[in-house]
Amino acid sequence: MPSEQDLSADVVIVGSGVAGSSIANELARAGISVIVLEAGPRVDRQHFVDNFRNLENKPSYQGPFPCVPWAEHPPNQITPNKYLHTTGPDAEAYQQVYLRMMGGTTWHWAGCAWRYLPSDFELKTRYGQGRDWALKYDDLEPFYYQAEVMMGVCGPDPAVEDLGSPRRQPYPMDALPISYAAEQFRALIREKTPYRVVHEPQARNTRPYDNRPTCEGHNNCMPICPIGAMYNGSYSVYHAEAAGAKFVPNAVVYRIERDSANKRVTAVHYYDPEKGSHRVTGKYFVIAAHCIETAKLMLYSADEQSPDGIANSSGHVGRNMMDHTGVQVTFISGDKALWPGRGPLETNVIDNFRDGDWRNERGAYLVHMVDDNQVDLATALAISKGYVGKELEEQIRYLASHTVRLFSHNEGLADPDNRLTLSATYKDALGIPHPEVYYKLPEYTVKSCEHTRGLFKDLIGLMHGTDEQWTPGYFPQDHPAGSTIMGTDPKDSVVDGFCRTHDHENLFIASSSVFSSVGTGNITLTVAALALRVADTLKKELTHA
Amino acid sequence: MAADQPSFPTSIHLSTPNAMRMNRALRMSRRDMLLGAMGAAAVVFGAGRGIAATPDAEAQDAVAPLFLALSRRLTDREVLDDRISSALYARIIKATPERRDQIQKLHDLMAGGKFDSARELAKAAEHSDAAFKDVIHDIMTAWYRGVADEKVVVYRSALMFDITKDAIYPKTYAAGGPFYWTQTPPEVAVPTGEPALSPSKFVVEPT
Repeated sequence: MPSEQDLSADVVIVGSGVAGSSIANELARAGISVIVLEAGPRVDRQHFVDNFRNLENKPSYQGPFPCVPWAEHPPNQITPNKYLHTTGPDAEAYQQVYLRMMGGTTWHWAGCAWRYLPSDFELKTRYGQGRDWALKYDDLEPFYYQAEVMMGVCGPDPAVEDLGSPRRQPYPMDALPISYAAEQFRALIREKTPYRVVHEPQARNTRPYDNRPTCEGHNNCMPICPIGAMYNGSYSVYHAEAAGAKFVPNAVVYRIERDSANKRVTAVHYYDPEKGSHRVTGKYFVIAAHCIETAKLMLYSADEQSPDGIANSSGHVGRNMMDHTGVQVTFISGDKALWPGRGPLETNVIDNFRDGDWRNERGAYLVHMVDDNQVDLATALAISKGYVGKELEEQIRYLASHTVRLFSHNEGLADPDNRLTLSATYKDALGIPHPEVYYKLPEYTVKSCEHTRGLFKDLIGLMHGTDEQWTPGYFPQDHPAGSTIMGTDPKDSVVDGFCRTHDHENLFIASSSVFSSVGTGNITLTVAALALRVADTLKKELTHA
Repeated sequence: MAADQPSFPTSIHLSTPNAMRMNRALRMSRRDMLLGAMGAAAVVFGAGRGIAATPDAEAQDAVAPLFLALSRRLTDREVLDDRISSALYARIIKATPERRDQIQKLHDLMAGGKFDSARELAKAAEHSDAAFKDVIHDIMTAWYRGVADEKVVVYRSALMFDITKDAIYPKTYAAGGPFYWTQTPPEVAVPTGEPALSPSKFVVEPT
């Protein structure tokens, strides 16, 4: 179908999440023309807040965010799934959720803004496991700081609490005071174990910042901060638009066109909701469409020139799927009332297992004591136990004040057999195949999870816990990575250390899909830092040109 | 060719979670795509109005006041909001029409004896007819969680928040100001009361 109107810009970006919108903002401020194509709709926070309040299953983080038929996303973490079809021995461990809409998946992140450790970039060299990145921590350090300033990250003074990632500047904001519940947990760990609890760095305001208010502790970072005290990608969208970037919602990119030499991308093509096709040309192109959608788009764009998909001469597009696998337990503490759920959701972490010599045989992990309001869960539990009337009310108060939830992020490992492919069975309303992922947990990750279970059992004992409810098996932490993996060798990787594809000189990828290892910290700050480094490269090349 | 040229309202994502359950346009069968082409907007926005409108027949239901009286006993509370009661009752019998008759019978049981507590009534009810247990669960879930028919009827006004309001806020409704969470919350004694009903399997809803 012919285009109604050809669009063109210096840089064309696919995806408007943290990565795409922050690149757009940087480029637009440098006077470079930018078009961002977002598959999903333009949305607003208040609507999601209303949706949350009307949601019966409050812990369902996807619940308030219904998708549109032309840009489906997984409705939940249930296997089998209506969109992300997982297979293999550990299919349920890869049942990720994410959002396809303006601003991206950080609409429902918890703001945890970890830098990776220097060792995370050198896993192969230091521990003989997995792969090294094609860059070092020091290469990314300035961009980590830029990302922290962009998002507004609060964190501890390294002189008081060193989180292991060297800093040249302090955090933009002081650390968030942790809750009474977290403070009790921290004291217990300090007094009764060899471990420690640290302040989690968070993209959350501890003072007014970037025209957004100080956090008021609504305890709803996931699925939606009601006041905008927590950063999400939409703020970078607004800033980029103010600087002149053009965002096109409901634009589902389905084809990446190259020149006759197959060396340069010349255009991307998108469908609107009516399946009208549009062509967008540019000098540079950035795919920033989330780990799963990025690989899906590159595979779906296969043609005669690139029969295995775009930038896929290595055959690694869609391979090496990683995540932070989780172990989770909920129990009733036998100690003093904690009343979790006062303040932000995730504020404190046991970080002793983020690195160590044992990483040569088992994966690293970190532990969250989740500060989650447990009133609804306590009520449902007390009703199921058969309480009514005033005895029910006593139970609700007791359970809500004594419920503890622990979960971990356990390190995955790049394995080419863990692979994303296009579904031969399921298609969306536009006829584009759904993604399918085969997943088998690496033994490295399984050993890490076993270690975590042992730690959790010890902690339950120390807290005189009862009524343990272990989440069965392994659950996904929605931190997918690796599908367009970074490396120095074009034969076994998709992008170089600057996130430029080996095959196409003007095509970059800004996503966790380029990660060569997944470490333990939440992935978003590293995604943002890599994206800002892409923006830096593009600015230099476009300005120089 | 309709399937190749789908047409959906671009505001379809504005559907609410409650309306979504009725929103056929969000399901992806070929038939639904055609339905979408024929005007899903009407379906979406029509569904959204369902909760607010209580038909006169429901408002005048003779069992509705019995539901309120029964609820007072089963919550051990003298006062419950009658508007919330009507809304909860309407949702319960909409989801499970036989609840109307069961609520009437449970009320008859209460009226025919002397029950000084919720526990006494619930225990006697389950002893008299095992089916009353589910009825009582529905009533407890409605008042304490604010949920009936798997839908939120009230959020902030759910009794679970009333009995914890000295310690914690409903999510999205904090009002303690920045860093209130560092303050020491109230201690809670270990409860000594016994359950009234036999236990049920507790299933955490998948997310």
